[in-house]
Amino acid sequence: MNVIFVFVFVASGVLLIVRDPNAFLPAMLEGSKNALMLGVTLAAVYAVWLGFLKVAEDAGFLRGFSKLLRPPIAKIFRTRDEKAAELISVNLAANFLGMGGAATGAGVTAMRLLGDRKEQYARTMFFVVNCAGVQLLPTTVLSLRIQAGSAAPYDIVLPALFAALTALVIGVLSVRLVCGRKK
Amino acid sequence: MKFAAYVLPVLFVAAILAAAIRRVRVYDSFAAGAAGALPLLKSLFPYIAAVLILSELFEASGLSQAFAKALSPLFTAVGIPTELSSLVLVKPFSGSGSLALVSDVCARYGADSYIARCACVLYASGETVFYVSAIYFSRDRGKNALPVLLALVANFCAAAAGCFFCRLF
Repeated sequence: MNVIFVFVFVASGVLLIVRDPNAFLPAMLEGSKNALMLGVTLAAVYAVWLGFLKVAEDAGFLRGFSKLLRPPIAKIFRTRDEKAAELISVNLAANFLGMGGAATGAGVTAMRLLGDRKEQYARTMFFVVNCAGVQLLPTTVLSLRIQAGSAAPYDIVLPALFAALTALVIGVLSVRLVCGRKK
Repeated sequence: MKFAAYVLPVLFVAAILAAAIRRVRVYDSFAAGAAGALPLLKSLFPYIAAVLILSELFEASGLSQAFAKALSPLFTAVGIPTELSSLVLVKPFSGSGSLALVSDVCARYGADSYIARCACVLYASGETVFYVSAIYFSRDRGKNALPVLLALVANFCAAAAGCFFCRLF
């Protein structure tokens, strides 16, 4: 990421100096403003979902829920951390149902736990699986299509699901191929 | 899909009720969980800021368009319409940026055209990779190049596959 940062920053910076030096600072400020606004949204989202997750955890729901999902997840992600496997199952289910907020809260905590245990394989796998973005109903894009006056807004659901599954399969296979041998 | 709107509220109410029946101190428990929100944000924010500032520069400088032009032969080769090459490039950096591009494509070509459907599928399959990496790998430095690369490759294949599936359905 450090290399990418330097490369993109310098390349864009030089290009802006040539084209329009006045746009340089506003662009950066725009970016950090976006970050701040996103941060406020994220904090609100986290407060709701982390609170809810804690209630669900204290009531023992997460344990029951993840008992079903834990064996396959522990196997795919090769983690022995039960809490992390639990959080991963919450994250995957929430992502699939399109509840991004719940997914991020659980996902970040799972990443922390895996990081503490130095389970790099599990973290790589979890990241790649997350980035595939498998989702039952892509609500944002559906509402955009309806707004744009589409006659058949749901036409893209199946192709999108298949495309995301393609990313999932290729991602999982490539993680196994690249990182799988170390253990 | 009206029923989707009911999932969340019903889930929340049912879970809170069931927790109360199981004698969980729901209010205290909820507050204890929510207490983690701000510390979490505090640790994430610097990385989110860095990535978003970078993606803003990337777009404002015209570098993303230049990349899109340079890579369009590759996109054509795998079956991604050239009109969508800037979308493919922006996608890993910025969710809101790519959403803007998608709505632009929908307005220009009509929401039910092949290109607009491809754009929607591109947007709906695959996450904003750099943004997700900023959130998930915020604490460790330099260890995330490989996961990011793998995710980018997988999502690029998905983009090509998505355009292919759009032709089938």
